[in-house]
Amino acid sequence: MAGTGKSLLEARDLRVNYGAITALSGFSLSLMEGEIVSVIGANGAGKSTFMNALMGMVKLAGGTILLDGCPLSTRTWKAVQCGLALVPEGRRVFAPLTVEENLRIGAFTRREADIQEDLDWVFSLFPRLKERLGQYAGTLSGGEQQMLAIARALMARPRVLLLDEPSLGLAPIVIRDIFKELRRINEQGVSILLVEQNAKQALLLSHRAYVLQTGRLLKEGNSKDLLQDPDIRAAYLGQGAGRGAA
Amino acid sequence: MSFSLSTLIQQIINGLSLGSVYALIAVGYSLVYSILLFSNFAHGGFLVVGGYACYFLLTQWGYNTAVSMAGALAASGLVAVLTERLAYKPIRERTPITLYLLIASMGVNIVIENIFVVTVGGRIRALPQSTFPTGVFELGGGVTVSASDILSLVVAAVFLVLLQLFLTRTRWGLAIRAAACDLRTAGLMGVNVTFLIALVFFVAGLLAAVGGIFLSVRYSLYPQLGSITTKAFIAAVIGGLGSLPGAVLGSLILGLAEMLTAGFISSQMRDLVVYSLLVLILLVRPAGFFGRTAGEKI
Ligand SMILES: Nc1ncnc2c1ncn2[C@@H]1O[C@H](COP(=O)(O)OP(=O)(O)OP(=O)(O)O)[C@@H](O)[C@H]1O
Ligand SMILES: [Mg+2]
Repeated sequence: MAGTGKSLLEARDLRVNYGAITALSGFSLSLMEGEIVSVIGANGAGKSTFMNALMGMVKLAGGTILLDGCPLSTRTWKAVQCGLALVPEGRRVFAPLTVEENLRIGAFTRREADIQEDLDWVFSLFPRLKERLGQYAGTLSGGEQQMLAIARALMARPRVLLLDEPSLGLAPIVIRDIFKELRRINEQGVSILLVEQNAKQALLLSHRAYVLQTGRLLKEGNSKDLLQDPDIRAAYLGQGAGRGAA
Repeated sequence: MSFSLSTLIQQIINGLSLGSVYALIAVGYSLVYSILLFSNFAHGGFLVVGGYACYFLLTQWGYNTAVSMAGALAASGLVAVLTERLAYKPIRERTPITLYLLIASMGVNIVIENIFVVTVGGRIRALPQSTFPTGVFELGGGVTVSASDILSLVVAAVFLVLLQLFLTRTRWGLAIRAAACDLRTAGLMGVNVTFLIALVFFVAGLLAAVGGIFLSVRYSLYPQLGSITTKAFIAAVIGGLGSLPGAVLGSLILGLAEMLTAGFISSQMRDLVVYSLLVLILLVRPAGFFGRTAGEKI
């Protein structure tokens, strides 16, 4: 599913400071309805800060976030109600809760009557979770935990699925599986915003991409073009899959 | 004092009854700890608010026992919510260091205690005789238990079961369990974290009030009654900080240890035994019975 030309989520000139450290200094991005957009950048580029800013988890020092052209609430729970759901860096599944409880808490903003249908949907995407419903999330493998974290976010029926480094700490074959599922999720109508250090996978999946460097935009464009861009190839795709290129 | 079976049975029942009151206090304290990761020393203050609210509803306004208890529970819950809003929330929003919260909670405890000293005086009061059962049951073989012990055991058990049902069967209960694991991520699920924290304080205050009322019945009511919370803290630590089953188990162990000491050694030795038990258990199991070790806590 490619973009339809209508801007769904738009970040304008976002600024975030942590005390004296400037983590984002005026970063703008837009995501069209149905699109997959990725943000690539090295360690400390400000990727997580950007995602957390969208979700209202860190305070903005400046800039605006628009959803459907209207300012988005800075309160996290309202952002979730409005259709944003973040799969946080490092998965952060609720280890002492079961897989089912993790999925149910993901559906916190939903009506009880809709939950079963959504459960069936995420099981169709990640059948393995269905077999492990009663298992504690902390006992799942890393790949399974990442699937659970994605499924948990989907239980909120988001319009925009945000993912913060879904490839982190996973084997290449598991990463391929997960990125394949992300494409399927997008084909079912969910717009996706992805931040990644794994530039190659991110560029292969996304329609458009932004390159973030120390809190600023370095480059933006179609992912296909960026994959061919000599500067990007050297800086982010240099060694094989691009991990450790930082 | 020589060993006798009837004393043993009697003291076990007394111990369970006392332990169940500790459990009400320890569970609320543990619940707050599990979410915000600090020891809320104002918890003792909540208990005193509950005790006095019940006392005045009974004596000054003449309500019956049930209404007075309900009013006391609500009053203590509201004071807990207010404490969080006025004293803790501003700190939480400025710093992630929980030590400041701990110090603030000590301050709040002193404030609450002294509000009662100044307004109603420091004298020791008893809840009116007629309002709680005072009879004694003869269980045969010389075993006697007081009706108020049985009542506090039953009421505590009912509240603990209700809490368990709330935490395991409701949407907000699930949210609280998720938040106890990872508050930030619970927020990402669309849970209004500000409301969740208020809810947790309300529940903690409410349970503390039940404890406060039964402590007032068992002993008496005075502004420093909240210091008994130390026992509940110990129980929570023995059980494993932040773990609710741990808090209940620790409380029952503590109640039993106290009452068996009182029955077979001497009443004066109670606290010595309790603190020795704490040290011993922490030496063997530093995280308590059900405690999460540092590694497991994310
Ligand atoms: N809570 C914080 N307090 C102070 N500085 C922070 C905080 N969080 C992030 N930073 C700083 O902000 C900058 C951006 O961090 P951020 O986590 O957004 O980077 P990132 O692109 O997600 O990196 P990574 O790929 O390692 O996850 C870094 O310099 C980091 O040290
Ligand atoms: Mg990051």
